[in-house]
Amino acid sequence: MKPARLVLSGRAIAVLATLILGAPFLVSSNPFLGFVVGVTLIHVLWSAGMNLLYGYVGLMPLMFAGIAGVGAYGTVRLTMDYGWSFWLAMPVSALCAASIGVVLGLPSLRLKGFYFTLCSLVIQTVLTLVFIYFAQFTNGDTGISQIPPPDLEFFSPNRLVGLPFNLVIAVVALAGVLIVSLIAASPTGQRLIAVREDDLLAETLGIDVVRCKVIAFFLGSLYAAVGGSFYASYLGFISPRSFDVLLSLNIWLMVAFGGRGTILGPVIGAVILVPIPFLLQDYFMLKDVVYGLLIILVMILMPSGIYGEIERRRAGRRAAALDRTRTAARAAAGRRVMP
Amino acid sequence: MSDATLLIALSTVFSGLILGSVFALVAAGVTIVYGSIWLPNAANGQFFLLAGLLAWSLSTWLGLNPALAALIVLALGMPFAYLLEITLIRRFYDVPDRNVAYFVVTLGLTQVFSGLFSITYGQWSDQYNIPPIIQGIMLIGPFPIANNRILVLAISLLLLAALFILLKHHPYGRALRAVFQNREAAALRGVNVRGIYRLSFILGTLVIFSGGLLFGAAYSFDLSVSWTMAITAFAIMIVGGPGSVLGALVIGMLFGFTQAIVSTFSTPTVATFSYLGAMLLILLIKPSGLFAR
Repeated sequence: MKPARLVLSGRAIAVLATLILGAPFLVSSNPFLGFVVGVTLIHVLWSAGMNLLYGYVGLMPLMFAGIAGVGAYGTVRLTMDYGWSFWLAMPVSALCAASIGVVLGLPSLRLKGFYFTLCSLVIQTVLTLVFIYFAQFTNGDTGISQIPPPDLEFFSPNRLVGLPFNLVIAVVALAGVLIVSLIAASPTGQRLIAVREDDLLAETLGIDVVRCKVIAFFLGSLYAAVGGSFYASYLGFISPRSFDVLLSLNIWLMVAFGGRGTILGPVIGAVILVPIPFLLQDYFMLKDVVYGLLIILVMILMPSGIYGEIERRRAGRRAAALDRTRTAARAAAGRRVMP
Repeated sequence: MSDATLLIALSTVFSGLILGSVFALVAAGVTIVYGSIWLPNAANGQFFLLAGLLAWSLSTWLGLNPALAALIVLALGMPFAYLLEITLIRRFYDVPDRNVAYFVVTLGLTQVFSGLFSITYGQWSDQYNIPPIIQGIMLIGPFPIANNRILVLAISLLLLAALFILLKHHPYGRALRAVFQNREAAALRGVNVRGIYRLSFILGTLVIFSGGLLFGAAYSFDLSVSWTMAITAFAIMIVGGPGSVLGALVIGMLFGFTQAIVSTFSTPTVATFSYLGAMLLILLIKPSGLFAR
């Protein structure tokens, strides 16, 4: 992989920032579309975190949603029971959830490929069961409703709602994507890729594989938990089903569909996939079927995702152009040599 | 032993045997496919549920004899598996690290099926009861047991025995085990590897189907049974050793008895927790499983 693909160009950053920050303004007159944009942006953040783990370290953490749930429940409990400010509760519970994520990611040090994925599925199942059975903390299957939006001390409604909330989420999502692009371009990012390609080889090259995986799990879980906290206060309702394995799979699908290991791919994936169920509301029940079919189609037709495919075509065109120039040059040289 | 204790003991033994043999069947279906194709079928729970639901539809809507309904479902299972094999499974036969690809694909299948079930069956009923194949109750000591459940138990033990003999002695079983051990060497010895792959996928699917049919004949079930079954089958496969049919039998029986004993004293969820714990432990300590070949 060429390093040029890892860093975003200035132009790409400008376009991305305009789109992400502009979207809330575009739909500000329509509360429904505003809601869709907000949820999509939360998924952009989640898919950036999943991309770090799946795209760069090559681990498929199916407990991603569970960690998002830990962050969400933590924030909700701290704000609703202890009266903490959202802006204090969110980072605290996100850090706790990230530490839990590191512990839950430890099996990845021993297990690879399918075995780790299976292990993470088990962990996700256990987390879902924990959410259901520790009802005094999570209110069980009924879920927690009427979660207040984040508080604002000095502004008039004292609550973050509507357009400002969307803008805050947009800023967080944009920051999340840009941080992943910074990490990807840094030496740490290169090490993560080396671990993905072959962790035994990476270790023999002197890369601290354990450290890489721990860092990746910490950051990825941080993304999951921050996204979960925003998700809870944005929707106002969470239940164990909000954070079940289907959410992990859908976030994974966004990364794989958009293009794993690219910065823009997961953003594209989230932007295409998240609105589908909202815009086809009459067929909302079909969401699982559509997403399931998409997973299968992505695996068969586009193993490198949309953006990966674009990159491949672009590289192909570049190679073809180079080929043509070479042929032309050779032909010209031939004419000169054999008149 | 007082009568009450004896009753509880006998009921535990019987439900342990029935659950254990169904678990062992499904896990054997999963492990045969994993051992040969390297395909961890995460959709096994949905296949299991599909068989039960189809048999329920045939026997309650069309009023067919449940035994006939079960045979029809099994007959439908063959083209179903074959179709899946041609359209989906075949494409990944030569992919390196295909177990991850297959796991993801079958998780996608799981999502498709669970979506379809909740749109259709989920709206029609929430508990599904297949009428008993045979009527009547038998007394074993003080313990009454439905003849139907005894029949289910007998059929599942017979199927397990047949599966074991097939894999041990039939040429297909020998070829399958050869592919289990070394695909290239088996191909060099003239084994048609792709043919074996196709056969094992169809056989595995049919075995899972028969597990679903037998479970549905013995107990009433709901849509959530698919997840529980999928997790249980995977736990059995991992603990028993992927690809080991003997492991699937022994651990399947063990888990069945665990579930029966635990359910007597507490909720089945505790049993699920214990399988998950056992699987995590084995994954971390000895990923090749207890009966690794």
